[in-house]
Amino acid sequence: MHKYLGTRSARRGVSVAAMVLLVAFVLILAHQNGYGPKAFAQWTIDGIRGGSIYALVGLGFVVIHSVTGVINFAQGEFVMLGAMLSASIYELDLPLPPVLKLVVAIVCSVLIVTIVGLVLERGAIYPARGANVVTLIIITIGATIAIRAAALIVWGTRARIVPFFTNQEQLDVILRPFGLTLGVQSLWIWGTVALVLCALLFFFERTIMGKALRACAVNRRAAELMGINPSRMSLLAFGMAAALGAIGGVVFGPVIRPQYDMGLVFGLKGFVAAIMAGMISPLGAVLGGLITGVAENIGAGVTQLYGYKDGIAFIILILILLFRPQGLIGGGERGVEQS
Amino acid sequence: MIERLEESGGIVGPDGVVHEVEVIVGDTESNPDVAASLARRYVDEDEVVALIMGSVTPISLAIAEVATEAEVPYISMASSLAIISDPDTGEMRPWVFKVAQSNGDVAEWQVQRLESMGVGSVCYMYENTGYGKDCYNNSSGKLTEAGFENAFEGTFERTDTEFPQVPGIEAAGCDVVIIGAIPPGAANAHVAIRTALPDIPIIHGHGVCTTDFITAGGEAVEGAEMPCSAVIIAEDIPADHPAKDIWMDFKDAYEAYTGQPVSTFGGHAYDALYWVVDALETLPEGLSLAEQRAAVRDYLENDIKDWPGTAGIFNLAPDDHYGLDYTSFTWFKVDGQMFVPFPQEEW
Repeated sequence: MHKYLGTRSARRGVSVAAMVLLVAFVLILAHQNGYGPKAFAQWTIDGIRGGSIYALVGLGFVVIHSVTGVINFAQGEFVMLGAMLSASIYELDLPLPPVLKLVVAIVCSVLIVTIVGLVLERGAIYPARGANVVTLIIITIGATIAIRAAALIVWGTRARIVPFFTNQEQLDVILRPFGLTLGVQSLWIWGTVALVLCALLFFFERTIMGKALRACAVNRRAAELMGINPSRMSLLAFGMAAALGAIGGVVFGPVIRPQYDMGLVFGLKGFVAAIMAGMISPLGAVLGGLITGVAENIGAGVTQLYGYKDGIAFIILILILLFRPQGLIGGGERGVEQS
Repeated sequence: MIERLEESGGIVGPDGVVHEVEVIVGDTESNPDVAASLARRYVDEDEVVALIMGSVTPISLAIAEVATEAEVPYISMASSLAIISDPDTGEMRPWVFKVAQSNGDVAEWQVQRLESMGVGSVCYMYENTGYGKDCYNNSSGKLTEAGFENAFEGTFERTDTEFPQVPGIEAAGCDVVIIGAIPPGAANAHVAIRTALPDIPIIHGHGVCTTDFITAGGEAVEGAEMPCSAVIIAEDIPADHPAKDIWMDFKDAYEAYTGQPVSTFGGHAYDALYWVVDALETLPEGLSLAEQRAAVRDYLENDIKDWPGTAGIFNLAPDDHYGLDYTSFTWFKVDGQMFVPFPQEEW
């Protein structure tokens, strides 16, 4: 026991030393390239914005994985569908003022993507419910490819436009606090993430349905014995995850000019966020997403190796899988137990 | 164009007989692997006389390999000179041609424009693709030669949502930003820079000469400058211009068929198809497939002279499988959400 504690504190020492070295390295590089605190502040707020979408995708991963044990790689495609659908519905010639049209576009696209999630579960996951989890994961990869191909046929390769929420125009209202650049859409995005997280936590902690979902996550068999229907819970989880992805796509639509193949990157980065949360903690997934977003922005910005920006997220992924497979945040012992 | 070919029943050969021409259309899915296997299928199974494929550089490079190996004339619609020249010797690849304007010619224009602005340092942003790198390689050389300081260079991805490059551009303190990309990436980068730095001039390459760029960028791309083929404003060209008829013809056909405003990319396919049609019209009867392919190749190399196309007046030669120079461009500016010519006299 004593020895065990010893190695643990030694490991902690090593990781603290590594962190200090990393921070020192970043600061020296920043100094060399002439970046001041303002540049860091800008990278951080941009990174938090970019990280918010990883957070929402990560939440989707966590919801599905904690209930069914499946890693749903189609999560990024839900984001793409949400963004593309909201753009397409907004383009329709509805006899409505722009604000209402936007609201209709948002609500309809989230609903449609939720239905896609439900259909995916009933059509592809449920029939294979007896199969190995790995098989189910491969099914979700197949679904990813199918959804992307369908999107290519429906929308083509052209990028779409979703208007900014505040002014329903193509150019956002820009705030310039302390000389930094902050689009108002960022506030919409952060508000949405915060709201979604609170709603999810409330749902999991305070409602019967949410508790039933968590019960499935903890012990499927025992939950079944208590009269909870795991297959219905799995359906619910896929619907929720699809809605989360769609919400992400909708709030991010104005910022990214969605294209049919945008889902892949968000899916992978969201996966990094979920891994940071040990695939189990919603709060962890949000923090993980934000950390990933900020880390890649500052990392790429300071080193000026912009081409390696995506690489930073995957370096984080590999390090976590190697040294802390139970996750950084909120995973804890339960994460280990699960895996 | 294809419809028109089919309506006329084919091509009138030198013997006066109409020969049917089959145009096979495929989708490369913007994926070099798909493109290479499609090209191989056309060459081996469909036994095509010539290939016209690939509007982006990586795809064209993949197809160029296939075409060279199979000895089939291939016309690329992408911009990089690397497509038509052998990577080892730098000589022309015998079987590969291209119709789209080169980035070297774009760089010439950029240098002239920057000189007229009297600026000192330049920041360069380019998309992490074959086209973007080609833009950068061509421009950075020419710009340094012309005495401009290259204060910053950074790549970005088409899917990027955040641009950590922008504080870098700010810190570099350059006078002008040049972007080498196609929409929507070009629009994304432009908007990101424009929001943070409202006053800095931004110049693009010819990859943005499509209305997609303006639809994607909106108000933020007002004032963007770039060199384009004047085909995008064909109706305003004086009637004595040698390419006026071709441009109007192409513009009308394109807009009628797609319902979209004319794009220079479609023009490259138009030019390439008519090169091949012209070549086929000279073919005598009774040649084997290999002989036909060789004859088309020889025609393209030696007989496309003072040939008015949508991208300019082509003059091909054995040591030039491209045949345009920088005069094929006109300098444009985005004004009132339109591409408007911005001639040198007004700089």
